[in-house]
Amino acid sequence: MTLTSESNSSAAEHALPARLNHLLHQLEHAAHLLPAQGPIRVFVHHNTLHSFEELPFDKAVVAGARTFSCQPYLAESRYRDFLQRGRIRTEDLQAVLRDDLGERAGDKVANLSSRLDIRSSMLGYSLRSAPTAELRWLVAETDALNRFRSEAPSAVREGFIDETRRWIMRDWRNGHRPQSTTGEPDGAELVTSLLEQFGRKSIERWTAAQWEAISLQLTWRLCLAGARHFQPAAPQPTAASRRHRTVLFEATGLDIDLWVDDVMIRFCGAFLDQGFARWPLPDRSRGFLRSFCELYDRLAPIESWMKQLGNELQRVRSSKQSALALIAEILDDLGVEQGETADFIGATLLALRGWAGMVWQVETRGDRAVVPIPHGSLVEYLAVRLLLERVALNHAQRTVTKFRGPLSQLRQALAPPERAESQGLEQRAFRLFQLAQVLGWSPNCLYGLSPTQWEALSGEVEAFHGLERRRVLQAAYERNYRQKVLDAHAIRNRLPVERPREPLFQVITCIDDREESFRRHIEEVEPRAETFGAAGFFSVAMYYRGAGDAQYVPLCPVVVQPQHFVREDVMVTYEESHKRRAKTRQALGNASHSVHVGSRTIAGGALLTGLFGPLASVPLVARVLFPRFTGQIKRFASRLVQPPPMTQLQLERSAPTPGNHEEEIGFSVEEMTNICERLLRDMGLTSNFARLVLVMGHGSNSLNNPHKSAYDCGACGGGAGGPNARAISEMMNDPRVREGLAARGLTLTRDTYFVGAFHNTCDDSITYYDLERLPKSHQRSFGDAFRAIDEACDRNAHERCRRFVSAPLSLTFEQARRHVEARSEDLAQTRPECGHATNAICMVGRRERTRGLFMDRRAFLTSYDPTQDTADSAILTRILQAVVPVCGGINLEYYFSYVDPTGWGCGTKLPHNVSSMLGVMDGPLSDLRTGLPWQMVEIHEPVRLLFVIESTPERLRGIMQANPPIARMIENHWVQLATLSPDNDEIHVYERGEFHRYQPEVDSLPNVDNSVEWYRGWRDHLGFALVRPSLPTTNEKGR
Amino acid sequence: MNWDPWFLSLGLATVIAPTVLTIVLSLPALISRPLGEGTIARLTQVSVVVGLVSSIAILALMLFTGSRDVPIDLGTWVHLEEQDFHFSVLFRFDRLSVPFAILTFVLCGTISAFASKYLHREPGYVRFFVLFSFFQLGMIIASLAATIETLFAGWELVGLSSALLVAFFQERVSPVRNGLRVWAVYRVADAAFLVAAVALHHMTGKGDFFKLMGETPWPDGTTALASNQAFFVGILLLIAAAGKSALVPFSGWLPRAMEGPTPSSAVFYGALSVHLGAFLLLRFSPIIEAAVATRVLTVALGLGTALFATSAARVQTDIKTALSFASLTQVGLIVAEIGFGLYYIALIHIIGHACLRTLQLLRAPSLLRDYHSLENAIGGQLSTERPEEERTGVWLSHVWYRWAFDRGLLDAGLQRVFVDPFLSMFRLFDRWERKWTDTLSGGESRESDRVSAHIDSLEDLA
Repeated sequence: MTLTSESNSSAAEHALPARLNHLLHQLEHAAHLLPAQGPIRVFVHHNTLHSFEELPFDKAVVAGARTFSCQPYLAESRYRDFLQRGRIRTEDLQAVLRDDLGERAGDKVANLSSRLDIRSSMLGYSLRSAPTAELRWLVAETDALNRFRSEAPSAVREGFIDETRRWIMRDWRNGHRPQSTTGEPDGAELVTSLLEQFGRKSIERWTAAQWEAISLQLTWRLCLAGARHFQPAAPQPTAASRRHRTVLFEATGLDIDLWVDDVMIRFCGAFLDQGFARWPLPDRSRGFLRSFCELYDRLAPIESWMKQLGNELQRVRSSKQSALALIAEILDDLGVEQGETADFIGATLLALRGWAGMVWQVETRGDRAVVPIPHGSLVEYLAVRLLLERVALNHAQRTVTKFRGPLSQLRQALAPPERAESQGLEQRAFRLFQLAQVLGWSPNCLYGLSPTQWEALSGEVEAFHGLERRRVLQAAYERNYRQKVLDAHAIRNRLPVERPREPLFQVITCIDDREESFRRHIEEVEPRAETFGAAGFFSVAMYYRGAGDAQYVPLCPVVVQPQHFVREDVMVTYEESHKRRAKTRQALGNASHSVHVGSRTIAGGALLTGLFGPLASVPLVARVLFPRFTGQIKRFASRLVQPPPMTQLQLERSAPTPGNHEEEIGFSVEEMTNICERLLRDMGLTSNFARLVLVMGHGSNSLNNPHKSAYDCGACGGGAGGPNARAISEMMNDPRVREGLAARGLTLTRDTYFVGAFHNTCDDSITYYDLERLPKSHQRSFGDAFRAIDEACDRNAHERCRRFVSAPLSLTFEQARRHVEARSEDLAQTRPECGHATNAICMVGRRERTRGLFMDRRAFLTSYDPTQDTADSAILTRILQAVVPVCGGINLEYYFSYVDPTGWGCGTKLPHNVSSMLGVMDGPLSDLRTGLPWQMVEIHEPVRLLFVIESTPERLRGIMQANPPIARMIENHWVQLATLSPDNDEIHVYERGEFHRYQPEVDSLPNVDNSVEWYRGWRDHLGFALVRPSLPTTNEKGR
Repeated sequence: MNWDPWFLSLGLATVIAPTVLTIVLSLPALISRPLGEGTIARLTQVSVVVGLVSSIAILALMLFTGSRDVPIDLGTWVHLEEQDFHFSVLFRFDRLSVPFAILTFVLCGTISAFASKYLHREPGYVRFFVLFSFFQLGMIIASLAATIETLFAGWELVGLSSALLVAFFQERVSPVRNGLRVWAVYRVADAAFLVAAVALHHMTGKGDFFKLMGETPWPDGTTALASNQAFFVGILLLIAAAGKSALVPFSGWLPRAMEGPTPSSAVFYGALSVHLGAFLLLRFSPIIEAAVATRVLTVALGLGTALFATSAARVQTDIKTALSFASLTQVGLIVAEIGFGLYYIALIHIIGHACLRTLQLLRAPSLLRDYHSLENAIGGQLSTERPEEERTGVWLSHVWYRWAFDRGLLDAGLQRVFVDPFLSMFRLFDRWERKWTDTLSGGESRESDRVSAHIDSLEDLA
């Protein structure tokens, strides 16, 4: 896809002059920085820093943070909280530092402390820093120079004072001036003057407090003198191009973006509108630039800064200048040099990155938009933006600056004068001073340091700056959890690993982390049940249209473009009633649409509000005060007009090729067989079938939630996976498919029956499909499964409730179920469920390896049987091709939205305002906010996803070699990787390009009789535990 | 039977319930011991229920006894003999104030129940409810007031709490800017109101509605003012109402007020605040009636606003702004109805509109889902009013679109006509002052010039 303003793109591109062509490429490149979030109706999780994936994670987050002005990690104070609470242990810090420093860890810096000690002290104690003025105040007005820092260990403190005392009494009392050969030339002067100040004559009578004070003051003076020897490298001139707006803003405080954004946001809203406004933008089809010109030409703007705009637009209109040429002209005008053009364009696009990104998304993925826009819109967007900026700059220059030269020199004219160096001396000294207190560098040691030693010492401290510390703390934070995960896996796998011999029923769910607890509870309630996890579209990639739906929607991962269409039809017997109800629905729909729109007009509004307005108080009060009850009533009422429950899928097609015409809808038997085989082989479910197999798609139902789709099934591209489960079950039950499977060596037991179902993860309800076709012979089995699953739903709701602060911890199972039901029906609920929050692990392997392990809803569980894989790991490869980017993307989106909720995420939901049916703004006018809202990520722990894959390091290395996209994510540490040996409990961790054998730290896990015992009473994250009932029975005997 | 003690106690309960809530919520917060979420929600509930039950009881009692006008006198607080000024706190329950008070309690109660969940775990939870309680108190005082001073007190509380709630997300720039903007417009309205109050005192020596507009209960009062006096006061009141209700030319602030959390936008700009201007006109209806010119102006202002707002609502692409202009459309109509003298219709219109709009605003985040289910029901894409092809080439409609797109150019117009000259005047004074002080001190006299507006650098990202 290329970006051109001309309609016949390829021809035009060749015709473009070299400069414009180059400009186009630069723009295209810059466009990749824009958020990749499309229209919010379908929310697809993806790595927020996708465009930086070529870089290693730690480099990428820093680069990304610079580009987008966001935070790369949590704040240092947060990590220090974790340290205090034991979420990060000292061992973790030490281990990470040791790894990081390698052989340099033990080196003594300036003969005082080892590098490792210095760094770990800098991590363990918060080193205070402040602007120079504040530091001077601290030193002069507070106890900083009289009292030790409260967290300095008392042994260090005592020793420090004692040594100082001895040194002074020995060497200085008599007014000697010990010559230190290497020392500070006027160091002696510094000491003696201080001694005099304290009263050298009465030195024997000094109190303990005085000794403490003099020790510290000496240290401070020495540090201040010593820190001079280190000259920090001059800050490199920022390579990134600075926008004129930024220079102007810093010089004068006037922000022209306020003017420009106001126009851009409203115009983008109108241009991209997907059918909300009653009056569409005139001339929209003529493109961004033209319609903008036409619009502002109609009625000249009267804002004073826009006075020039009229002439500019006239010129653009008459000259028929292309958008690219216009951009080139303005760049010249602004004095943007060739070398910085790319950066400048990037920075300009990022000024409103949400809107610019949406223009780009709607332009390039027209298939995902209801109302597409012409190609080349982003180019024209940039042209309009630059045009407005030029007008605004001209006005600002005239009114607030004294500079009267051309705009091209504005930046140079307004650039701040170079600041005198020596910046940061106090800060450096103060850091040393604080470290001296915790590491016990008493004045006598410091006194002897040579200038080079000072330089080394201060340099060492400066090199471990805030960003570095946060990087290490993040690594330690992740390590802590990784150890726990791997320990749990190791311990679990010392216990027997086997499938239930005669499973009562089998359940296949999505790999989603929210299904972990659901599966665990099923296995707990019914230990004879067996569960599997597969990507929630169950290999059925399709466009689907329900009986009551207007349009086909894709139900499969976003990267897949489905070829097949599937439609839900009402059974022939109900055709009449279906038609009747559809008519009623249509009438009601038309009526309520008229009300919706009419209430916003004069006459309609007057009529509605005057006559029926007071009636609105009934639903208003009911909805807010009795959400669950109102929901029930509403459901009951809508049942009367909904399509009849008796429906079937149009699943098999007669035409040779798939399409959306009547006879092309559906799959051929061959295709169905392929799909079924793929699913079964991926999961390793090829033998030992139960009589009843339940396939459960999932989705989430909540009200008043523009981000609803983000709670739905990621593997269904942000849709609900019920139809997929229904389709695959019907395929599996087809005797012809079974024959086909048998021919390929995959024989299903004759009386195995598949039932599709839908798990609503918000209210924990299950809808089963096509039960009327369930054979009489299986009704008993279904009854058993139904009861067990219903119980599991109650328990699942109960476990989820522990994370909702507004749900008391004392709830019973039934109350918990009612609580989550009310949540999903509540207009005021901003946290209908917790989504993927806390996700941290992705296990790819047999369920037997993790069964019975309490994983706290933090693990994606993908079923995969390494013993059935081919020699070249074909199955694992195709699983990882889907799972690594999808789960990794979800995890990284949560990481970024948590680490900087207003920068990477979209902030709090409370002021969100749905705009143009495309996304949300904060309040009435803001950039489109991308990423996840705070309420969704609130309880998340920002750790990179840890893949635990049941395979060998060799096999994984092979897969990585053959699949660069997977290798890139792993080698650049966007995800963590460990392997669990298929044969025993051996674990290897992938670090810096190699697999290391993992040594477990602990030998046992808590044993509990059921999950409730383990989580009851806790709101916070929980560790691992073994849940006895679902462990294999051989263990049962042992206890 | 003598019902007066009943009226008195119920009336007092209606006023005291919100007052006590304000004190109970704000005092602990002032001494840094803010109450917990649950306590705040329950206290608010209790206060609303007490207030609602008492006001409904008063209504029932009024219907039962047939009394149309119940004053509750809290005494005269200031009395200046020679100026002939007395400031008394007097409330009045009549056909206008009782419905308005009930509406306030119903909506505030619903919204507070909504907000207690919606704002769960929000750091500004306490602040929200403190401001909310001030707002509720202001609304009750304003609706029940029987003297112009009391009404002004309530009016101010509403204004202040609204502006602060617009700026609720104080860590971002635009809520604060827009909050300030709302506040600035409110001040203009307040000034007009205050001048009107002073003028009334000057003309009649009274601020008391009984004396101003006769003993006959609302809406049948008559004013003792001469027609030209009434016109003067009427114009001032109209300006006050226009500022508060965002009528033309002040309409620009209404969409900007949608910066706060959804429930506050709903209750203020969808329902209560925005009707307060109309309420003021209803309250002073005899004065408006007394001069034909004022009535004509009121009608013109109302219809003009309605026309403008309905055009603006049609081009908005985000739900909250669209709803705010939709709201304004009806407020314009209501004002016009008042100008026509249709007081009861206006009152019913206010009540109905407030309920419906609140519901719509609360449901605003459901827009996508609602549209989706509507599309499914109808079986296709929802239509916009006119297809584009029909519209192209129609010059007038494009100008109209452009005019509506820029919200009637009202904000920019006000900026050009009032704000810019005002600012340049003060900048001129500033330049003079600078010259003067520089001369005196023989050099650069302003220390503030040398301080950079920005913090040097962020250490964390260095």
